[in-house]
Amino acid sequence: MTRSHRDESPDRLHVITGGRSSGADGALDAVTLVVAESAPAPGMQSEHAAILRLCRSPTAVVEVAAHLGLPVTVVRILLTDLIDTGQVTARHPVSAPSRTHPFASPDVLEKVLVALHNL
Amino acid sequence: MTDKTPRDRGAPPPRSKAPLWFLLPVPALLLWGWVLRAAPEELLAPALAAGVLTAALLTVCAALLARYARTVHRLRNRIDAISAQGTSLAERDLPRAVTRLREGASAERVLHGLPRVEHPAGQAVLELVVAEISRAERRRAATVTACATAAGRIQAMTTTMLADLRAMQDDHGDGTAGADVLGDLMHLDHAVAQTGRTADSIAVLTGARSGRRWSRAIPLESVVRGAMGRIGGYQRVRLHHVPAQAVAGFAAEGIIHALAELLDNAAKFSPPTAEVHVHVEEVQAGLAVMVEDGGLVMGEEALRRARETVDRGLDIGAISGTRLGLSVVGLIARRYELSVSFRPSSRGGTAVVLLVPRPLLKPLDTGPPQASAPAAPPLPAQSPAPSDPGTQTAPQPHTQQPPPPPPVSQTDAPPGPADRPAAEETDTPPRHASGLPMRRRGRTLAATQRPEPGPTTPGPTTSARGFGAFRSAVRGQEPTGPPKDDQ
Repeated sequence: MTRSHRDESPDRLHVITGGRSSGADGALDAVTLVVAESAPAPGMQSEHAAILRLCRSPTAVVEVAAHLGLPVTVVRILLTDLIDTGQVTARHPVSAPSRTHPFASPDVLEKVLVALHNL
Repeated sequence: MTDKTPRDRGAPPPRSKAPLWFLLPVPALLLWGWVLRAAPEELLAPALAAGVLTAALLTVCAALLARYARTVHRLRNRIDAISAQGTSLAERDLPRAVTRLREGASAERVLHGLPRVEHPAGQAVLELVVAEISRAERRRAATVTACATAAGRIQAMTTTMLADLRAMQDDHGDGTAGADVLGDLMHLDHAVAQTGRTADSIAVLTGARSGRRWSRAIPLESVVRGAMGRIGGYQRVRLHHVPAQAVAGFAAEGIIHALAELLDNAAKFSPPTAEVHVHVEEVQAGLAVMVEDGGLVMGEEALRRARETVDRGLDIGAISGTRLGLSVVGLIARRYELSVSFRPSSRGGTAVVLLVPRPLLKPLDTGPPQASAPAAPPLPAQSPAPSDPGTQTAPQPHTQQPPPPPPVSQTDAPPGPADRPAAEETDTPPRHASGLPMRRRGRTLAATQRPEPGPTTPGPTTSARGFGAFRSAVRGQEPTGPPKDDQ
């Protein structure tokens, strides 16, 4: 995580997030795919504009964070801003039943539990 | 006796010049001669005695008077000389001595250079004054140096701490559990950044530099946000549209610092709920950064004082304890030739305009898109860059910021003599003077960089050939055989 001297910038994270360290949308996790719904507007914060440019096609939150060189939490806060204004939408991953774990979904497990109780 | 008393009275008049007093006995002698002739026989002896006595007395008087007159004359000359010396000491010698002492000369050398005061007391006073000023000056210099050193150490520590904090923020900001830690780290980061600004201010006031140097041009948005990060009320600062410009690395830190001081002033002197607005606008002379607050309107007197503080050079004695900010801004402005102006704001508060001159600006190169496609955009962005500064020295092309228009203006019609050479320079790579092809600075570099993707296509063939040779060499001795035969 050591940054080279050259990569440093006078921007501090607290300014980028406006002093927030939490408040990100809880549903956004590291692998959520986000898609830009609009093009970057001229007066935008540069990180927001960069996110919109990055997310023309669905991109994972971690990927955005890696490209921007910012921590995931910070990117989630920035993305939440954009989601709130409707410029970005998030696609939450749905875990499909796989062959190895066909009944891994909580619904199935709950049904099994109920059935066991009824025995 | 009776006739001699009037002579006595008549003696004093010629007092002005010393030799005249010796004429004093002359009328007495004449009178005495007449008395001797006119007097009867019996009175001759007493008259003679009285006359001799009077003449002797008069001569003695005259001699004494002459001596006093000489003394008075000498004393008056001396007084004149002393007062002249005093005047020249006060008006010329002492100020010169003080200047030389301020420049770092030792007390002995300064005294040696001064004309000696005749009066020993005067000389003693002069020596005392010079020694005292010299000591005070040394003490002041030592204090300033100590402050500068201390500030430099704090600056270095702050820079390290900020880098560490950023690394920690990167570490802890990646996990979902790290949000609290991240918040704390941000809080610390903010505090450390403010400490750094204070240390920077002390450093600037003591004649040293603002903190660190950036090795690359810093985008304007980062400059303003860097300044915001160093003040207490950064959440109240609203940054409006920022032009795509960057500030040259060597001046970036100074401008960040000056801007931070201005923002801090604006945030401090406005109500805790009011916002501070930052507008950046490109103007002919460069870039105008306007910091506008909604606080109290500064009166004419306060505005004048603020302007004075900024305009005044380093005068530690005139700095008030609580208002260091504007002095710092003034010093930085002087160093980088920024101009700072104050005026009442239309929002009701005060607006400060910081004008960054064009030589300090650079066009923002491949700013945000670097993230999306890091490989592709830099090349086209770099190739025009060398062609612009190619014909001229490095710093000037930035002052002639409008190079983009020239190619267009050249195709249309070369309007002025000033535009024509610029257009020619940008568009005549093959030959420039005497018909010979001319190489351009940066062009060769671009040429070496551009073919690089190209050689990758011939690359495989050469490498394949190499592999073939290697393979045949390993397999059989055929290829190595013929060379031996040739030899």
